[in-house]
Amino acid sequence: MASDRMTTPREGVTRRAVVGGLSALGAAAVVGTLAIPREAAAQALGMQESVEAAMKRVFGGRPIKDGSALIKLDIPLIAENGAVVPVSVEVNSPMTAVNYVKHVYVVADKNRIPIVTRVAFTPQAGQAYMGANIRLGETGDVRAIVEQSDGTLLQTKREVKVTVGGCGG
Amino acid sequence: MSDIGKVRIRVPSSIKTGDVVKVRALVIHPMERIERDAQGKIIDRKYNFIDKVTVTYLGKPVLSFDTTQSISENPFFSFAFKATDPGTLKIVFSDTSGGKYEGTADIKFS
Repeated sequence: MASDRMTTPREGVTRRAVVGGLSALGAAAVVGTLAIPREAAAQALGMQESVEAAMKRVFGGRPIKDGSALIKLDIPLIAENGAVVPVSVEVNSPMTAVNYVKHVYVVADKNRIPIVTRVAFTPQAGQAYMGANIRLGETGDVRAIVEQSDGTLLQTKREVKVTVGGCGG
Repeated sequence: MSDIGKVRIRVPSSIKTGDVVKVRALVIHPMERIERDAQGKIIDRKYNFIDKVTVTYLGKPVLSFDTTQSISENPFFSFAFKATDPGTLKIVFSDTSGGKYEGTADIKFS
């Protein structure tokens, strides 16, 4: 009897604790599901990863053809200051409603955040051209990857020598 | 920095109807890069950088940039669009702190 009396209250406490714990978990789960996708969306493109992981994540192992005949990647061979490197990409391809350049990606292989930018074009642009100032952490390849509206991937790359890195920490 | 969000847009001085026009746009923004402590661990906080640039012409989207911290401070972007009618070219930069910075240019034909 004595042991029964000992266990019953303990059980009650335990159950309450369990129930309370569960509801707290439930609340955490709800908050979590609300918060995580937002955070993930903000981090979707620029994640700290190796370039292989980035390419696999973004392109999912699709074959990438050599597009050096079509893509003009303009970037200095030697960048004295890695904090500001002008890059421009021009794709020699028609921009019609049925066949156009959908995306242009700029990827810096050695950066901690390899995907620099993704540009989404509409046929309204008339020409697939983009330019930006980018940061380069150290000497390495810079690639321009073009995704056409039918899903074909083309890339061209060029090595850039960086005298002073521009990505800090 | 009170200068954050100043947008400057440069369009060619003479445009003809149907031309593909190259435009340069600049915004003043720190584009904070990831900081690390003495042990090399990433300091976990919300970094303020521009992650979206959208360009619209006559109210229709032309192109958009999704950008990361690999873009320089005070970023400069250039792009092309087809000038078909006189109207407004509008560029909106949005950053991770929720700020939106707008710039417009009037497209006129000479």
